[in-house]
Amino acid sequence: MNKFKLGLSLLLLVTFVSCTKKKNYEEKVLVRNVSAKVKGLDPVNAGDTYSSTEIARVYEGLLEYHYLKRPYQLQPNLAEAMPEVSEDGLTYTFKIKKGVKFHDNKCFPNGKGRELKAEDFIYSIKRMADTKNISTGWWLLDGKIVGLNAWSDKYKGKDANYSDSVEGLTAIDDHTLQFKLTQKYPQFLYSLAMVYTFAVPKEAVDMYGEEFLNNPVGTGPFMTETYRQTNKIVYEKNPNYRDVFYPSEGSEEDKKLGLLEPAGKKVPFVDKIIVNILTESSTSFLAFESGNLDFSEIPKDNFDQVVVPGKGLATDYAAKGIVLDISPDLDVTYMAFNTEDPLFKNNVKLRRAMSLAYDNAKNNELFYNNQGLEAQTIIPPGIGGYDPKFKSTYGQYDLAKAKALLAEAGYPDGKGLPEINYETLSKTSSRQAAEFFQKSMSDIGITIKVNTNTWPQLTHKTKKKTAQMFGMAWLGDYPDGENFLQLLYGPNASPGPNGSNYNNEEFNKEFDVAKNMQPGPKRAAIYSKLAQKVSDEVPLILGVHRTSYVLKHAWLKNYKFSTFNHGNSKFYDVDMDLKEKTIKSGILNKTVDKKTAKAD
Amino acid sequence: MNGNLNYILRRLLYLVPVLLGVCFLIFILFNVVAPDPVHMLLGKHPSQDQIIQLREQLGLNKSLFFQYVDIVRSAFTFDFGRSWSTKQDISTMFMNGAIPSLTLTLPAFTIATFTSIFFAVIVAYFRGKGIDLFIRISCIAMMSISSLVYILVFQYFLAFKWGLFEISGYEYGFPNFLYYVSLPILIWVILSLGPDIRFYRTLILDEIYQDYVRTARAKGLSERVILFKHVLRNAMIPIVTYTVVQLPFLLLGSLLLESFFSIPGLGDMTINALNASDFPVLKAMSIFSAVAYIFFTLMQDIIYTIVDPRIKLQ
Repeated sequence: MNKFKLGLSLLLLVTFVSCTKKKNYEEKVLVRNVSAKVKGLDPVNAGDTYSSTEIARVYEGLLEYHYLKRPYQLQPNLAEAMPEVSEDGLTYTFKIKKGVKFHDNKCFPNGKGRELKAEDFIYSIKRMADTKNISTGWWLLDGKIVGLNAWSDKYKGKDANYSDSVEGLTAIDDHTLQFKLTQKYPQFLYSLAMVYTFAVPKEAVDMYGEEFLNNPVGTGPFMTETYRQTNKIVYEKNPNYRDVFYPSEGSEEDKKLGLLEPAGKKVPFVDKIIVNILTESSTSFLAFESGNLDFSEIPKDNFDQVVVPGKGLATDYAAKGIVLDISPDLDVTYMAFNTEDPLFKNNVKLRRAMSLAYDNAKNNELFYNNQGLEAQTIIPPGIGGYDPKFKSTYGQYDLAKAKALLAEAGYPDGKGLPEINYETLSKTSSRQAAEFFQKSMSDIGITIKVNTNTWPQLTHKTKKKTAQMFGMAWLGDYPDGENFLQLLYGPNASPGPNGSNYNNEEFNKEFDVAKNMQPGPKRAAIYSKLAQKVSDEVPLILGVHRTSYVLKHAWLKNYKFSTFNHGNSKFYDVDMDLKEKTIKSGILNKTVDKKTAKAD
Repeated sequence: MNGNLNYILRRLLYLVPVLLGVCFLIFILFNVVAPDPVHMLLGKHPSQDQIIQLREQLGLNKSLFFQYVDIVRSAFTFDFGRSWSTKQDISTMFMNGAIPSLTLTLPAFTIATFTSIFFAVIVAYFRGKGIDLFIRISCIAMMSISSLVYILVFQYFLAFKWGLFEISGYEYGFPNFLYYVSLPILIWVILSLGPDIRFYRTLILDEIYQDYVRTARAKGLSERVILFKHVLRNAMIPIVTYTVVQLPFLLLGSLLLESFFSIPGLGDMTINALNASDFPVLKAMSIFSAVAYIFFTLMQDIIYTIVDPRIKLQ
């Protein structure tokens, strides 16, 4: 028996020794997480927000969004100034900043990064058009630049010849770049702030070949050695980064939040960025709570514990110095009808009845903590074409009217109507939302069958037009109504982004005109009219425009939420003394009594 | 000895039909039944041209027969190409993933096996007494709790509240990885104790009622000698069977533990591949595990001859 006891206690001793690593507070390090695997660091394939955020630490483009100003506003980044646009609106001439250097890398002679030239942008844009690369960003430029599609077609399935010139892409000299467009398209500028068009040096692509995506060489504020797909990416500050300064313009609100304090200071502020890839939200939230991450989103399961409805951050979190940042996001959620499905085709009354029976306010309360804005059209607030006064006729919950319309459609009390298939994702929140929709419809006698899918299955069904109805959300690619209205543009039907396959000739025609107009009140009015008209046709049952919730520790400085956050990490700063003090005090791991805690 | 070699060669030859069969199953699952991955990979704005181009690049426009041949070729050359979703070289992904997985699963498995056998011998020794009942009830209680509960509760209390372990993450190289794998190992051991102790106890008890044990008792040997010298040795055959069968799965890592503790192992890789329709990675994992399985059952046969000299390979 004694031996047994000895064995047992030895075992316990071995397993229970303290197994945590000592932390280092000397270097200024920004620690954050990304909730999905990053697909390598090649700009032409920056298909998702996670990858583009990572790529934008290393690479840069001609333009970027102003860090503080809202509504979002473009400003030059690698360009010297905003471009000169010809009178016919077709030619854009950019001056490029002089003396910008690529990161030192062995792909350059002597390993010294060379100067960025206009030719680099032409090369990078041709890479998007190179069919071998199958760039997920090609839609941005498809048919927009003179001669680019011809170049792309010429080398379809072959090795492209990059020295073959394209009429619409000219380097007038090393620091002057000219684009010629096939038609007026002011939104073209937004594509130059998107990661796909960021400058890539040919030397690196030639040297690393297929491994280029793991060997990023850009001009950006941070650099990383060979990227390994593991659970962590570590970036070091680029020691040769050019002079870039923190913005000095912002709103009163920004000033109050201290976001203007570092105005005019040279960026980046941190020496290192550690990005942890944490796919489980419960794990990443614990990591944030313990101070291992500087900021984090709030997982749905922890929401009620962190945010008190109508009051904001729960006091026990506030007592730990944690700050809650609530900002509107540029998106819209919806449930789409496949308008090519025989049941919904030419049956606007049925679609309207279903929209009227959907209690969107309850949806907002149940799934978005009442923080979403019930969508009246597809265009979210903050961009031209959004009309705060507009109320959609069929977006208001009205059971009596819904029943009447359903009868008019030929299905009194749902009689004679076949079961409708609704496709959703298998995660809990999607399933609950689908069940809520199911319940709403049963109130007017419509039977919904909820099918749960993996993301690949759902994409397959929508792109192949075999889904009858499905739930989806659209996050803006750029802050322009066009990016939302194109979701209902006929030629964009599946496999394009128009999953409802809505195709209205009049809409298509007006959209074609509006998308080529200069931004301004005139165009906004047309956007607005288009969005409102299509709301009446109900190709989608609209949900909400969502709000982003971000929790950050007090030691993280200058953080401001942005839908287009790529490239923003250079502005973040970390107060390492405060971080050390807070973590060492142990307050983060303590349970603070909700009643006695006082927020400061 | 010649016979042994013959046997081993013959078993290795079996690999060929088995692999062909595995390839066929994979082919049916991924190339025939599974949803078309092209749309998933192309993002939200694909053009018709890109769909055609990608199908060609992935070899999906070939006839089904040639798609099958492609799988067979990769199974026998072990060249799986690149991941569809992350564009990474699959062999590199394997190398990067195998180390973290093994640093978690090997120690966990070893500790779990030895601890379970140790406890099993004790309960077998005290069979029918209070301690036997207590351990058996504890085993059932431990097995009744979902693994997810252990993960969440241990992560919250042991790592977050009490700071005994790291919450998540991984670092390559000794001894750094130890900080990150110790909590997952602890959970693995606790998860295996329940079923393993009960299983090994049954194995040992099966032996205890054999005739030779009665003879040994009649000879006047002490219960301890009987248990450790005779019974345990005879129970080795089923124990080896049980443990070796589990070895190939150690290479595959642990899906849940790796995912929750953010350990970049093969289990984590598999989950991500599943979520992204990354067929080449899934095919590689399936073929790899089939080969590993065959290899380890062969090892098992060889170990049999060592633990029981009466067994000959033929």
